[in-house]
Amino acid sequence: MALAVEAERLVKRFTGRAGTVDAVRGVDLRVEEGEVFGFLGPNGAGKSTTVRMLTTLMTITSGSARVAGVDVAAEPDAARRAIGVALQEAGLDSRQTGRELLVLQGRLFGLHPAAAADRARELLELVDLVDAADRRIKGYSGGMKRRLDLASALVHQPEVLFLDEPTTGLDPASRLTVWDEVRRINALGTTVFLTTQYLEEADQLCSRLAIIDDGVIVREGTPAELKADLRRRRGLEADPTLDEVFLDATGRIRERVAGQVQEVE
Amino acid sequence: MSSLRALAGRAVREMLRTPDALLPTVFIPLFFLVVNVGQAARIFPAGATPFLEGQNYAAFQLPAAILLASSFGGAALFLVEDIEGGYFDKLRASPVSRSAIVLGRLLAEGAKSVGIATLIVLVALPFGITVASGVLGFLLLVALAAGWAVVFSGFMQLIALKTRSAAATQSGSLIFFPLLFLTPNFVPRDLLTRPMEVAATFNPVTYIMEGLRSLVLEDFNWTRIGRGFLVVAVFGALMVFLNVRTIRNYD
Repeated sequence: MALAVEAERLVKRFTGRAGTVDAVRGVDLRVEEGEVFGFLGPNGAGKSTTVRMLTTLMTITSGSARVAGVDVAAEPDAARRAIGVALQEAGLDSRQTGRELLVLQGRLFGLHPAAAADRARELLELVDLVDAADRRIKGYSGGMKRRLDLASALVHQPEVLFLDEPTTGLDPASRLTVWDEVRRINALGTTVFLTTQYLEEADQLCSRLAIIDDGVIVREGTPAELKADLRRRRGLEADPTLDEVFLDATGRIRERVAGQVQEVE
Repeated sequence: MSSLRALAGRAVREMLRTPDALLPTVFIPLFFLVVNVGQAARIFPAGATPFLEGQNYAAFQLPAAILLASSFGGAALFLVEDIEGGYFDKLRASPVSRSAIVLGRLLAEGAKSVGIATLIVLVALPFGITVASGVLGFLLLVALAAGWAVVFSGFMQLIALKTRSAAATQSGSLIFFPLLFLTPNFVPRDLLTRPMEVAATFNPVTYIMEGLRSLVLEDFNWTRIGRGFLVVAVFGALMVFLNVRTIRNYD
């Protein structure tokens, strides 16, 4: 099967006054077309940095990355045409209306004004924002903003959709709505690269996932494979949860101390 | 070009939907015009001051007010909002040219300056000020003011892109005050003290002000007008180049 995302020995090094930090240290990734691929990791593990490199938003220190068969460093504009991006914070212009934002996004991807308006109408229907289409975005709820952000990432019918923590900060109902959207988008043939901190989300949505910690991939496989692997290694009677897989992979132990959950190395 | 038009249109909408940010750019320059004229007009009476070319001192001060109005660089603060809110990344993740991202806002700032400079001139007309170079001169005056607005906004955008901070960007706008006061602001350059004359000669804003002033006070003085447009062209090209380079290397 063809690869939608391929990264080899991807490295990102930040150099500042305080010294040098290797945020991503040789990540290899292979995501097949049509997958919903989950990319998990604790805060600061290198998830967003990896996504920013794959989506041309950040330069690559070393290694290589191809998305939809295009080298993101050598042909960034071709890569941008092939991908849709919805980042951690819904990147929206609050002074525009939902419709204006989608029309503008269409025009940035080369659509004629009339075609951009038609595409905006389709997407507003898809994410159920027709009634709010001509209201300024600053009046939207968190869930509406997420849905609009998703719609704006789909304007040009991308081959690969990158979603960076798309449900962070959403209430449970809005989260379920976003999950439904992700399933629907994937069913239409779009590969989804999803980063999340919510393991239940990964369990629900992802056909395969990778866990990154301290800038390196520490586990990769289907949720069932990862659970079975931990069960075998620990000699457990039943399959562990994905939470337990995550904690095992990242070397963290949960201890309940004085009513608080603490994470310790 | 289509993307550039779309981005400039979005920036214009943004300005019009933020009247709170627009109003000071009209009222503060008019305030300085009134105060400066009130303080110095009696020193330079209309009939007895050769450099006024028969007009009153308000006509001499008008270009300073227009320059100030063109030097707020509000586009850069909207850019910082885009950066902080994540919309800037959305733009960068699209295949639109990096120069269109830079120029969209700058063109909108130029369009805003056209409107404000026109408004200030219209407000000034009932007070006996005329644009001596006529309708064509007025159009050149507005174009020169808009050109300067693009240059200064380009400078402010550069600070915004480098610092990604609203506070630092806002502080950057303060550089205009030394630039404005190191010009022949109150009298022509040949009446300045020697150190001030040297400083004004090295200050590019001097040539914009002298170009604007020649259009208000004289018939066409192409040398002064040409120097003003040359400064806009050189510094405008420099700012666009630096902005595009910064966006290309933006991490």
